[in-house]
Amino acid sequence: MTITQPSTHMTNTLEGSSAMTRPFVSALAPSKQFGEHRAVDNVSLDVTKGEVVSIIGPSGAGKSSLIRCLNLLESPDAGSLSIGDTTIDFDSGKPGKAQVTRLRRFTGMVFQSFNLFPHFTALKNVALPQMRVHRRSRAEAEERAMEELRRVGLEAKAGAYPTQCSGGQQQRIAIARALAMDPELMLFDEPTSGLDPEIGAEILQVMRKLAADDMTMLIVTHEMEFARQVSNQIAVMVDGAVIEQGNPEKIMSDPEQERTNRFLSAVLGR
Amino acid sequence: MGEIIAYIAMGTGWTAVMTFGSAAIGIVLGLPMLALAQSRFSVLRGIYHAIVHVVRGVPTIVWLFIAFFGVGQLGLTLSPVAASLLVLSIIAAAYMAEIYRGGIQAVPAGQWEAANALNLDRFSTLRFIIGPQLFRAVSPSVATQIIGLLKDSALVSTIGVADLVFRAGIMTQYNAHGLYMFGIAGLIYLALSLPIAAFSRSIHAHITRRYALA
Repeated sequence: MTITQPSTHMTNTLEGSSAMTRPFVSALAPSKQFGEHRAVDNVSLDVTKGEVVSIIGPSGAGKSSLIRCLNLLESPDAGSLSIGDTTIDFDSGKPGKAQVTRLRRFTGMVFQSFNLFPHFTALKNVALPQMRVHRRSRAEAEERAMEELRRVGLEAKAGAYPTQCSGGQQQRIAIARALAMDPELMLFDEPTSGLDPEIGAEILQVMRKLAADDMTMLIVTHEMEFARQVSNQIAVMVDGAVIEQGNPEKIMSDPEQERTNRFLSAVLGR
Repeated sequence: MGEIIAYIAMGTGWTAVMTFGSAAIGIVLGLPMLALAQSRFSVLRGIYHAIVHVVRGVPTIVWLFIAFFGVGQLGLTLSPVAASLLVLSIIAAAYMAEIYRGGIQAVPAGQWEAANALNLDRFSTLRFIIGPQLFRAVSPSVATQIIGLLKDSALVSTIGVADLVFRAGIMTQYNAHGLYMFGIAGLIYLALSLPIAAFSRSIHAHITRRYALA
C-alpha cells in the first residue's frame, strides 16, 4: 500500500507491510542502470491485492523501465522483488531461469505496441500460450480464449489476424491474451499511448472493468483523468525515482512536490 | 542432334544433386550456425564471424581445388563428387546462416518480449513465435540463394564431376560447336531455375495469404 523512495539503501518498508495485510507485490529498492544512465533508482513500492496503482511522470523518467523490472523483462541490478510467495534478491546477481519463470507466473503484461503474434488469429494468440505454458488442451484453451475475447468485446474477431484488426482491437486482444494466463497482477505499459484518444477510451473501459473485478494492476499512463478515477494510489516518477505517492485526489489537486506540480500543470494545461 | 542434347541433359542429374543436396544441407546446417551467431558468449560469436568470413572470402573454385587436391596430400582422398558436395554445402551453410541472421533481426524485439512476458519457454518461443516469422522473412532470400547455388554448381565440372557444363565441354571437344553445346547447357540451367523461382513465389504468396500480412 506504500510506495516509498528510501533515502538510503537500508531504508525499508516494513512499517507499511506490518500493518494489516502483507503486500502482494513488494519491490525493495530495485535499481536498473543502462550504461551511465540510472533508469530506475532505488525505487521501493508495495501493492496489496486488488489495488490499482498508476505511475505517472514525464517521459524518460523510468516508468516503463520500472514496470519492466517487475516481470523481469529488465533484470534489476540491485534490490529485491517479491510477488506472491516468490522473492528474488538481485544483489546476489542475475536471477536464474527457474526463478524468472516462477515470478512471471503471477504477472500479465500489456505493451504500448500490443505485440500480438502476426501469424496467428486472435483466437490462437490467446489460446496458444495457455496450451504451451499451462498445458491446457486445445479445446480447453480455445474455450477460455473465447471467454476472454468476449470479456473485451471481441468474440466476433476470433478468426481475424492482427492486421485485420484496428489498433484498439489489437490492444484488447492483447489484454485477453494476458488474462487467459490467470495473472494475479496486470502490468500495463502505456497501453493507450499508440492510439487515438477515442480508441484509447475503449481500452480504458476494459481496464475499468478489470479494476472493478478487483484485479491488481500497475499502470504506466499519461491518462491523468483515468488515473485519478481508477487508481487507489498514484506514484509520480521523475529521473528514475518516485518523488511522491499517495491518494490520487491529493496528488492531482495538492501535490507536495514542486516538480509534481510543474508536471501536472504541463500535462493538464492549467 | 537429339543424342547430343540427351548426352548433355544427363548432366542435369549431378547438377541437381549438387544444387539441392548442398541447399538441403546448408539450410539445416545454417541453424546451428545461427545459434552460434546468437550466442551469449562473445567468443562463440567471434568464431561464427570468422567461419563466415573465411568461407565466403575465398573463391568457391579455390575451395574445390583445396578439397580435391589439397586434402588428398594430407592423406584423405575425396572423390570429385564428395569434395564438391562438401564444399558447396559448407558455403551454402555460411550464406544461409547470414540470411537467417538478417531474418532474426527482422522479427521485432516486441515478439520476444511478448513471448517472455507470457512465460513461453525457449523451445515454444522459437518453434511457434519466432520460427514461423523467420521462415516468412527468409524464404525469398533462401530461394535466391538456391538459384545462386545452381549456378555455382557449374564449378564442380573443373574437378571432373559430370554435370551439365562438364558434358557440354566434352561435346564441344568432339564437334567444336561450343556455342550450341553451352547454349543447350544454359537453357537447361534456365529451365531448372524457373521452377525454383516459381516455388519461392508460391510459398511467399501462401504465407502472405495465410498470415494475412502485407
